Amino acid sequence: EEEEAKLQNGGFLPCPPLPAGGVPSGTALEEPLRSCRLRSEAERRGGTAAESPSPPRSPGGDAGSRVLAAPGLRTCRDRAEPAALPPAPLAFTDVNLNSRNTYEVSRRRSAPEHLPHGGTTPAEPAPPPQEPAEKARHRAGIAGAGSSFAEFFTRNFFTKRTKELKPAVQSAPGWKLFGKVPPRENLPKDSKIIQQEYEARTGRMYKPPPPSARRKNIEFEPLSTTALILEDRPANLPAKSVEEALRHRQEYDEMVAEAKKREIKEAHKRKKIMRERFKQEENIASAMVIWVNEILPNWEGMRATRRVRELWWQGLPPSVRGKVWSLAVGNELNITPELYEIFLSRAKERWKSFSETGSENDIEDAGASVADREASLELIKLDISRTFPSLYIFQKGGPYHDLLHSVLGAYTCYRPDVGYVQGMSFIAAVLILNLEEADAFIAFANLLNKPCQLAFFRVDHSMMLKYFAAFEVFFEENLPKLFLHFKSYSLTPDIYLIDWIFTLYSKSLPLDLACRVWDVFCRDGEEFLFRTGLGILRLYEDILLQMDFIHIAQFLTKLPEDITSEKLFSCIAAIQMQNSNKKWAQVFASLMKDNKEGDKNHSPAPKS
Amino acid sequence: PTAAMPFPGSGADDAFDYLFKIILIGDSNVGKTCVVHRFKTGQYNEKQQNTIGVDFTVRSMDIDGKKVKIQVWDTAGQERFRTITQSYYRSAHGAILAYDLTRRSTFESIPHWIHEIEKYGAANLVMMLIGNKSDSLDKRQVLFEDACTLAEKHGLLAVLETSAKEAQNIEEVFTLMAKELIARNTLQLHGENPPNSFSLDSRPVIASPTVEKTQCSC
Repeated sequence: EEEEAKLQNGGFLPCPPLPAGGVPSGTALEEPLRSCRLRSEAERRGGTAAESPSPPRSPGGDAGSRVLAAPGLRTCRDRAEPAALPPAPLAFTDVNLNSRNTYEVSRRRSAPEHLPHGGTTPAEPAPPPQEPAEKARHRAGIAGAGSSFAEFFTRNFFTKRTKELKPAVQSAPGWKLFGKVPPRENLPKDSKIIQQEYEARTGRMYKPPPPSARRKNIEFEPLSTTALILEDRPANLPAKSVEEALRHRQEYDEMVAEAKKREIKEAHKRKKIMRERFKQEENIASAMVIWVNEILPNWEGMRATRRVRELWWQGLPPSVRGKVWSLAVGNELNITPELYEIFLSRAKERWKSFSETGSENDIEDAGASVADREASLELIKLDISRTFPSLYIFQKGGPYHDLLHSVLGAYTCYRPDVGYVQGMSFIAAVLILNLEEADAFIAFANLLNKPCQLAFFRVDHSMMLKYFAAFEVFFEENLPKLFLHFKSYSLTPDIYLIDWIFTLYSKSLPLDLACRVWDVFCRDGEEFLFRTGLGILRLYEDILLQMDFIHIAQFLTKLPEDITSEKLFSCIAAIQMQNSNKKWAQVFASLMKDNKEGDKNHSPAPKS
Repeated sequence: PTAAMPFPGSGADDAFDYLFKIILIGDSNVGKTCVVHRFKTGQYNEKQQNTIGVDFTVRSMDIDGKKVKIQVWDTAGQERFRTITQSYYRSAHGAILAYDLTRRSTFESIPHWIHEIEKYGAANLVMMLIGNKSDSLDKRQVLFEDACTLAEKHGLLAVLETSAKEAQNIEEVFTLMAKELIARNTLQLHGENPPNSFSLDSRPVIASPTVEKTQCSC
């Protein structure tokens, strides 16, 4: 192992063969053609050192970062194949090798990093000062939480918690164009005074509009126009000719008029958006009254009526959303809040013993299934802060961190046969946002007990394939062109459906939109999950038809953020879940039947 | 230093000399997605959501004048998902195995991951080991020497310690992998093995004009 060399700064890249000028010509400098299958220890390449004649790109530049980069890289060349290359320009045969000396040097140089407490490291710069947590939080709060929170609130998500959190949201009136421009220090005049001065100078009268009209049109008051000032030439320059002054006056008037027009138009647009929002809120409010006063008291009798189903499709008012979800998901498992408390305390005991037995190393001794379970306990911890990270509320120290931890932990105790599976944290989080803790758990456990969710979270491959096959039946039926396009690239639904189904779209779609998908999912069941998938494909069909395999896969696993509910739901509505008079359930059932018949020779391994 | 790639439009960057499929595997939360994100956008996203199933990224690189299109299949790390991700190994040309150098257990899983690849991947698949989070050296739990020993034992191409956060060695990982794959591909073209032993499901690995070009240059 003494021939092993540390690399500096990506100096590993193949360089053209060089008479080892800067590089100490070592014993290991290799003969490309002979060494092909006769690699010895001595020939095992470590790569080149920092002195490598042409380091391709030096990531740092200063000595400090070079040292940092140093221990990061080494090539191990046990496999001989590339060495057999003819000396083509791309071949690896011409990598410069280090002598032992170079290696020793670089090793010594990088040594301190291997042993964090081992001696001084003058060359190494102090680690970048840790950003004070508060500052980091503050910054993240602006970049992530700030905007998302604001959005979140305007969309009326926190039905119950809005009051306590709302002050955090600063509402900046979007239309006050000059409110944000700091006044120039030497010009503390306000625009009205400037305007008046200008009017006085040009002999035009400044006519303030009648106060009543002003107040009425306050939203339409053009603002930037007053900041545009027509000036005479400075005294040290020859004055404008009458002609020029006239022309300038005219141009000025045109510009002002144009700006006014534009601003009025924009104000109208803003007002229209406001009107729509008001209307939406009114709709939500009136729907809420209907849900609370009429539907919820007569749930069983009304849930299946046409009127309720239609209202349901429009999206549930956030204040009743959790309640309706709970009722629709049901409680087949008969879980009570008390039962939740029992499983939660069990989970807490396990966390305690887990943290007492300490390090993860102990897991290794404890048998595979236990290790897996313990690992999933550990995984929950890691995953919680990675659940809707931009909302910032599930992060460590965030308001819902412990809640999410509790619900997931209790579930692993309740269903050790399923355990914690990634994706669950998103589902639990969405429920927590809409329900009280115990109710969220009850809905969570029952939701995951549905056949489709059970199949996916147990990673039951043959069942998952049945779901994909059923999906493809309706895919072909609804979007034949795109279906063939995907087929031509062997792009199977698992590529994009796994993420969508596991998280019930809560990770892939904007959260408010995901909640609307959940609304109808609670109404229609698993079928709607696949219908939503087809709706997404339909929405982007034209774009997807232009893409190749990897771009489609990339696109569908990172959907555009500007997707709107109107567009998506109109696309979903256009998807027919009928295949030659067979509905989803029938198609799926017949596929299941095929499965039973062909069980003996059918391999459960997915295609792809 | 890393140039951000614009979101690839349709057909805009269709032309390429090589196309490689690289699968990125390793335990959960070692930073796989952050590594890919840095590679793709040149940025670090601290608030990365966990990956369910597989995420896909494509980026073109210019390597020695050749346009190389790199597909990265960024897989979910949880044990449970292995049965899903295994099926994606078969057509991969390269595998990047990632561990978190601040968490020993993620390094100890690497032999399992190697075993997975040997079992489900192509025989000539190129493997590389990366120890991510090299920005947190004060929390180091895995010595670089240990990683080297492991890599040598299993005949991996290289070991790199990376930091997605501080853009350390990220570009290098993919450059090194691409260079090796180009070299092997060139070798195959000259050797007895038919080039389609390296075929992808979706696209040919080598666009035909390049084949001629490469042959001419030798």
